[in-house]
Amino acid sequence: MQRQKLIVTKVIILVTSCIITSCSSVRGYQKMYLNEPCMVLEGKKLDYFETNFQTYREGASGANGGKVGGGCGCN
Amino acid sequence: MQLAIVTIALFFIVLTQDVKAQAQKLTSGFRTNALKRDSIEVEVEEYVRPDWKTIDVDFLSSYYSQDGNNSAVTGGLGTEQLTDFTQKVSINLPVTPSFTLNVDGGYDYYSSASTDNIDNIKSSDSASDMRTHGNIGVAFQISDTKTLGFFLGGSTEYDYFSLSGGINVGLESKDQNTAVKIALQTFVDKWDVIFPRELRGTAIVPTDKRNAYNGSIAISQIVNKRTQVQIQLEGTYMNGLLSTPFHSVYFKGQENARIERLPDTRLKVPMGLRLNSYLSDKLILRTYYRYYWDSWGMQGHTAQIELPIKLNRFLSIAPYYRFHTQTALDYFKPYKEHILNQQYYTSDYDLSALSSNSFGVAVSYSPAGGLVNVKMPFMKQPLFSIKSIDIKYSHYSRNSGLKANIISVGVGFSF
Repeated sequence: MQRQKLIVTKVIILVTSCIITSCSSVRGYQKMYLNEPCMVLEGKKLDYFETNFQTYREGASGANGGKVGGGCGCN
Repeated sequence: MQLAIVTIALFFIVLTQDVKAQAQKLTSGFRTNALKRDSIEVEVEEYVRPDWKTIDVDFLSSYYSQDGNNSAVTGGLGTEQLTDFTQKVSINLPVTPSFTLNVDGGYDYYSSASTDNIDNIKSSDSASDMRTHGNIGVAFQISDTKTLGFFLGGSTEYDYFSLSGGINVGLESKDQNTAVKIALQTFVDKWDVIFPRELRGTAIVPTDKRNAYNGSIAISQIVNKRTQVQIQLEGTYMNGLLSTPFHSVYFKGQENARIERLPDTRLKVPMGLRLNSYLSDKLILRTYYRYYWDSWGMQGHTAQIELPIKLNRFLSIAPYYRFHTQTALDYFKPYKEHILNQQYYTSDYDLSALSSNSFGVAVSYSPAGGLVNVKMPFMKQPLFSIKSIDIKYSHYSRNSGLKANIISVGVGFSF
């Protein structure tokens, strides 16, 4: 378990470092692609219900904009 | 379901009309070009600044059905058949250019064969229930790079009542290439404790309250003109009655069940990574990965890939695939595999070691001028517009045998 955590942490640090070092400054008028609705960095509105049922059907949940409390989800 | 069918029919009617209109436009364009082959004309449309007063309203509906044979109500063995019809409306109301009010509310109406078994009397009150929920929030744009928001909410169902509140702060770098969002939420919940019929009078629980405290930080970064990433770290601490009082557990060599028992505190720490990239003018890549850890011994990995394809400026189709795997809770064992001297026990397969696959497709249609504009004779601007329609279908299957289907429909209006 500890080994798995260590591997995940190393991979995340590596990926994050690669991304951050390869960043270039993008000006407002150059963001036409980034401002498209399907580029939004969160779940879409329509994913709301699906994210909720996944939260109920799987014990491992969160970090995706879904429910984190409220409602028993017991059915 | 009827609403979903009507909405789908409406969507295809509107779509067919738009395709016809586009084809007519194209044909007339060819004719015009043939006539004016020797001259070049450039038409510049007047730029219309979006009105900050526009009120956005989204209607969302879904129909969900599942079936399996590992219900926690009957100790990990028994039908999990469930259908759930959900509707939600969400309103975004700008009060001033820097102050917005957000209101949402909705209900879930479900019928469940497993909860029907709480009472052993078919078609009893436990066979169906309705959950209603609502939130009201405000968002302030403090400066070009700072936002502040608050919300209050609540939900109620037959045996459960919840109140919630939260605050969030958003910060952006001067070049708006980096953004940080910090959110804190709390949930104060209360059970109306219902035990399985055969255990009423003998079963007890230490409390009927459940509280959850959640904090999250999300850092978004633009990588280049076509790619952006986000890392989100979240922590949720829960205490109180964290087991479900009408879940039964059966023990090795015993005929009588007990109610599920779980510790009264739990810490959950998920971490999510997103990477979205505009691969070409037609193809977008959306990816998501999550690592999950909790203090009850569960770890999980979730990965999702979605490929929205832009068929034209307004119409896109987005197939997706999601894989999830998790280890079991320290306290999980299947039907009749627990032993009597255990302190905590559950046979809820949602908390077991599992892997799941889901796939589906979403269709989104949002023309620049809106699908339908309803105008009044004396008004210059439309009274309201239907600005978009989205439909999504997903199929979900778990290695325990549970299968589910969900269809969601969203219609966006602006006033």
